[in-house]
Amino acid sequence: MPVGKRGSSLVRSPQFSSLIILIVLLAVFAIADANFLSPLNISNMMAFLPELGIIALGMTLLLTAGEFDLSVGAVFGLAPVVVMLLVQNGEASIGVALLAGLILCVAIGAINGVIVTKIGISSFLVTLSMLLVVRGAALYITQGFPLKSWDQPGFFVTLLAGSFNIGSFRFYTSLWWFVGLSLLAIYILRYAKLGNWISAIGSNRNAAVARGVPADAVKICLFILTSVLAGLAGMISAFRISAASPVAGTGYELEVIAMVVVGGTALTGGRGTILGTIVGALMLRSIRNGIVLIGVPGLAYNIFVGVIILAMLILHALLQKNAARG
Amino acid sequence: MVQEVLRLQNLQKSFGSVRALKNASFTLGEGEVVALLGDNGAGKSTLIKAISGVFPVDRGDIYVRGQKVSIRSTRDAMDLGIETIHQDTSLAPDLSIARNLFLGREPVNLKWLGVFAPLDLAKLRDAASALLKRVGISKKLDADALVSTLSGGERQSIAISRAMQFAAKVIILDEPTNNLGVEETHGVLRFVKEVRAAGHSVLLITHNIHHVFQVADRIIVMRRGEIVAEQTVADTDLLTVESIITGADMSALLKETRAK
Ligand SMILES: Nc1ncnc2c1ncn2[C@@H]1O[C@H](COP(=O)(O)OP(=O)(O)OP(=O)(O)O)[C@@H](O)[C@H]1O
Ligand SMILES: [Mg+2]
Repeated sequence: MPVGKRGSSLVRSPQFSSLIILIVLLAVFAIADANFLSPLNISNMMAFLPELGIIALGMTLLLTAGEFDLSVGAVFGLAPVVVMLLVQNGEASIGVALLAGLILCVAIGAINGVIVTKIGISSFLVTLSMLLVVRGAALYITQGFPLKSWDQPGFFVTLLAGSFNIGSFRFYTSLWWFVGLSLLAIYILRYAKLGNWISAIGSNRNAAVARGVPADAVKICLFILTSVLAGLAGMISAFRISAASPVAGTGYELEVIAMVVVGGTALTGGRGTILGTIVGALMLRSIRNGIVLIGVPGLAYNIFVGVIILAMLILHALLQKNAARG
Repeated sequence: MVQEVLRLQNLQKSFGSVRALKNASFTLGEGEVVALLGDNGAGKSTLIKAISGVFPVDRGDIYVRGQKVSIRSTRDAMDLGIETIHQDTSLAPDLSIARNLFLGREPVNLKWLGVFAPLDLAKLRDAASALLKRVGISKKLDADALVSTLSGGERQSIAISRAMQFAAKVIILDEPTNNLGVEETHGVLRFVKEVRAAGHSVLLITHNIHHVFQVADRIIVMRRGEIVAEQTVADTDLLTVESIITGADMSALLKETRAK
């Protein structure tokens, strides 16, 4: 995260232009359909938002360091499946099972990170293979059937998927997770020493290493973080809908990467913005929600989503060019 | 001779079957500018990467001020006062000048938080501005400006001032004038002279022999991983050095070198 001059550069920054587009989009949807801003619809959006948003936070840090992770959607599916299987077979209490799921995510992230950094294979290939391994594992251990999730109330269920009402809005605790993790990620990337290292590694790895920055260790930790956040999001989702499906999260990896780059983080590393990612997450969520409301046929959703993502990327590229010239 | 700062003894390094460094030995004195010359692939970058801790040597010893040292990481080299500006750029373009100047040595508050400690942004900016002023970068540069907005010469100046700032004993420059314009090149050469005046030793790698004769005290020539000649600038001339580099009439020149 570059420390720029406040004011003029904030207006030109990618997260700001994304924010403007988001506001325009929200306004269009709100005018097109009065239900868009209804408490029920906002509550719905806010229930889904954190699940992808939490993964996007980890992905932003990883992309800023110059790597990415295609296995997050599969981890999103596998983690809750493993937890539920352990509980259902009576092999572990819910707490122990959650811990086991967490350790599994750490292991997957560590394997990704070590292969990418120590053997030097691109993260595209490593995490694509990991996607297949992890998704395959989820399908195999469940024999392809969804599991009924833990639906008895308890501490962990409340912690991950509890809900509360504010007026006529209904919010889930996952929103707090998202807010808390977002603040933490903003702090790390913008203000902490670690964030300086993450940006430097993605911007010019050799330069960072030459200054004594432990680039490989930082990258491995970010792979682990991203994997853990994907697993956490998967468990939140499973608890919320009281079911764990082995195919949950299919395609999430691309949706999450889209959120991150739409927010203005560079796919090539070095430039990351958490605020942009939050805007990007809100944008993709409201697009998916809004186009349903304004009556776009279901099978045509992805055309719209794709076109809007493309438009955003073109806008960022043009702004970037302008900034370089100015 | 002036006091010895850095001494290399029989350094060897192979990449698979490529013997990039065969038996390199030389000494760098205090406040001395030594130019390291040689054709592409002679092993110059390999030599300085070994000194700066980018990779370990296979064999050989390195002495800093007479003390035998082991340099296993870039951090080790920095702690010994050896600062290197590498050929393949030393700065992170997406970071500000200030953040680049202190990369890896960031001033922080709440030190006990380790890598999570918050940067002392005010101190970072002030120290960077002070440094830019001290090294006299002519054009006024904003410490908050991104390095990607700077010219090649300005970037090189930033990298060199960073090396000076940490009071390095030895500053190593790998082709610092590559891709630079006339004015920027003069800026870098002026820097080298200032650095020497401030008491640092400099190891300068370049393909431009004219630059060497402007700033260096001594010349070392490498060919195929070996040091083949060593001469003081005062005792030689441009044509002689050129022919040593290309290997023309090697035997005669080597004899001449040994005789001295
Ligand atoms: N990481 C590496 N792996 C394999 N071979 C290498 C590596 N680095 C250097 N070499 C080889 O070692 C030899 C010396 O390379 P080096 O970079 O030291 O040359 P140089 O003198 O700096 O050349 P130039 O003037 O072109 O920069 C070359 O043959 C090169 O191909
Ligand atoms: Mg070289």
